Amino acid sequence: MEHLDPDRLVLLALSEDRGEPGESMHLAVCAGCRSDLESLHHVATLAAEGKSLGEQPAPPDRVWQAIEAQIAQPDRPVRIPDQPGGNLGYQRAVRRRPRRLLAPVLAAAAAAVLAVAGTLTVTRTADRQPAEHVAAHATLSPLPEVPPAAHGTATVLADGTIEIDTRDLPLTTGFHEVWLIDPADTTRMVALGNLSQDQDALLPVPPGVDLNRYRLVDVSDEPHDGDAAHSGHSLLRGTLTS
Amino acid sequence: MNSDDELAGQLRGGDEKALRAAYDLYGAAVLYLAQRLLGNRADAEDVTQLTFVAAWTGRDTFDPARGSLLGWLLGIARRKAVDRLRSAARSDRIAETILAQLPLAEPPETPDRIVDRLIVADELGRLPEDQRRTLELAFFDDLTHPQIAAVTGLPLGTVKSHIRRGMANLRRRWEVDGGTSGSRSAGPTRAL
Repeated sequence: MEHLDPDRLVLLALSEDRGEPGESMHLAVCAGCRSDLESLHHVATLAAEGKSLGEQPAPPDRVWQAIEAQIAQPDRPVRIPDQPGGNLGYQRAVRRRPRRLLAPVLAAAAAAVLAVAGTLTVTRTADRQPAEHVAAHATLSPLPEVPPAAHGTATVLADGTIEIDTRDLPLTTGFHEVWLIDPADTTRMVALGNLSQDQDALLPVPPGVDLNRYRLVDVSDEPHDGDAAHSGHSLLRGTLTS
Repeated sequence: MNSDDELAGQLRGGDEKALRAAYDLYGAAVLYLAQRLLGNRADAEDVTQLTFVAAWTGRDTFDPARGSLLGWLLGIARRKAVDRLRSAARSDRIAETILAQLPLAEPPETPDRIVDRLIVADELGRLPEDQRRTLELAFFDDLTHPQIAAVTGLPLGTVKSHIRRGMANLRRRWEVDGGTSGSRSAGPTRAL
């Protein structure tokens, strides 16, 4: 029994040729040639899928800047440990690092679990830590049409306030307002309050607001038009993660 | 692969420029994998960051003899992404469920397949120009060997030989570096 010629295998793998009856019969009985053909066909499929991969955008500069900052200071705690509850000791000193944690892609079932976990985290943090300590955190990044230098952080403290710290927001003739939005339904939102002139604010989270649901922090540009609804002009956004 | 060796040497020597070079080469691939696994741009950027920081702190563990730098980085990125899902869900079981239910526009893909695709694309880019060109015409433009010969002006026998060698190179790299290297017999259709 003669094995299939490598050129023939490649042709068959590229589906360029249906194969002669004799070849099909050989493939039916020869595991080696069959395995070669399957491997080649799989690789060809993968390669064809990769057509657009060469055009993948490079990560934005902020990613490298964060990497550089972290490797420059290896002794400082730079990430939340993975073990459950391990983030309770997350220190205020490091929370300003440009980080975004947790996947806001969780399915509804997982969100429910998170709600429980998040509540526990806040409760335990309150028990064990002074109010200074952080229950959740978000890095606020500029939306596409906003000057890229604009950025900020949102930090939920264990005492139920949220500290907003922004930099280089575009000037406004109105004012900047902070919102918590439900990413699953972005028409659902809670207004937290306004940023003062210095672009920082410590705002209370209204009682009963579920931060696992309203976890998208949004800073908007609001005109003085007497309309309390969101202007639709968002400047910064980031997802709260515990 | 040579440049991987050089980069590895520089990395071990603690040269930050080597990390930057690796980031310039493979940052986009790491980001792509993280984005596909997490379905979210901000988290994907965060995992990209964690991956390169971990690559830096763990640079002594990279062994070019065992696989490519890209394969190593994608392995780290994949673990970081799964860690992220797990720590978010506080439960392995839920993390697996989420991974299986990612709200992607396309049918869900296994991490293996995404890694495989990135590895094969990387290897395609490293092939000798003639092999790469003929394979791209076959894969991307769906041309037959005779059509490729007509387009490139190469003799049909040369086209065949470029394609055969190119395919052999892609396959070898995939077997060494792919998402399931070591468990190839499971085949491409295994579930997550």
